[in-house]
Amino acid sequence: MNRCDQARRLFGAYWDDEVTQAEREWLESHLAGCPGCRPQYEQFARTLETVGSLPRTDVAADLPERALAAARRAATAPDRIAVVPVRPVWIQVTATAALLLLTLSALLPWLGTSAVQRLLAGRESKVAEPRLVATASRAPEPVRLDSLGIDHSEDVEFILDPVVLHRGRAQAPSRLPKGVQGEQAVISF
Amino acid sequence: MGRVAEDDERAFTEIVRRFQGRVGNLISRVLNDRESVDDLAQEVFVRVFVHRRNYRRGSKFSTWVFTIAANLAKNEIRRRVRRRNWFSLDALTEVLSDSLPQLADPTESRETGMEREQLQGAVGRAIATVPEKYRLALVLRDIEGLAYEEIAEVLGLPGGTVRSRINRARGMLQRKLQPLLRKQDAP
Repeated sequence: MNRCDQARRLFGAYWDDEVTQAEREWLESHLAGCPGCRPQYEQFARTLETVGSLPRTDVAADLPERALAAARRAATAPDRIAVVPVRPVWIQVTATAALLLLTLSALLPWLGTSAVQRLLAGRESKVAEPRLVATASRAPEPVRLDSLGIDHSEDVEFILDPVVLHRGRAQAPSRLPKGVQGEQAVISF
Repeated sequence: MGRVAEDDERAFTEIVRRFQGRVGNLISRVLNDRESVDDLAQEVFVRVFVHRRNYRRGSKFSTWVFTIAANLAKNEIRRRVRRRNWFSLDALTEVLSDSLPQLADPTESRETGMEREQLQGAVGRAIATVPEKYRLALVLRDIEGLAYEEIAEVLGLPGGTVRSRINRARGMLQRKLQPLLRKQDAP
């Protein structure tokens, strides 16, 4: 950068009186001796003098009263459109899901207990407890031996009776060998 | 301003009286339009009143008012540019080409009031042709005489940016007014 460029860069700061003492002395000595920079600075200064001396613009004399009246109106004027705060949709969705989850987690223990209780109660009403068939009142059966000579008169036949598949008492056909008589017992599960 | 914040209307009108000249001048010089000054100055003070509780005590009131005025002036410039009836390039060229030769007429006495008025008109129009971001900084500095720090606060810019904008605006203005000033200097 030559001395003239350097000098012209300082014009603004010199005009604003924001140069150091050394810069001021250097610039003033340069302007005194430079035929190019001196008229340049004079033109710069005249431009800013002209700008600064432009006449002030007068405003209306009744501006304070007008401004006050307008300010009163503005302060009391209702919004012309309803201002609805716009929230992102994801916030609403997340909040609803969280609320639902909390409600469910709070109700789940109660729901679970009662459901189990209801289920048990229903099962009790539908499925009879296994009963031991009374045999005492029966007349004693005559002893019958099978081909191997074993007495089956006191045998008990166990029938697996799934509750879901067979409601009520199981009436399974006897699988005892022919000629062998035994009591049926039902195990429900 | 504390009294204004407490809805003291007399304090408000006093503030308007005290600042109306500077606010009006800023708007007038930024827009180069005398007709709109009263309406826009009024709007500035209405905003001062409406937002009176947002004013931070301890900060400089003039800075706050100038911030509102500068924002309104900027909005007005942009609104006019959108309407394309104000600062179009053609209009700017026309403004300068119309004003400068008239003012540079050497047969006219330089000392007459008419010439002075024409000179001021030409300077006002030349300022209006400086791009908005430079123009606001220039008007705040060279017409309203605000300190650089205050301008930085009004415009919400770093101090370095403000200095650079003012320097550029001054350079632009000097170049625009150069023909006029040269001819005025001629014998």
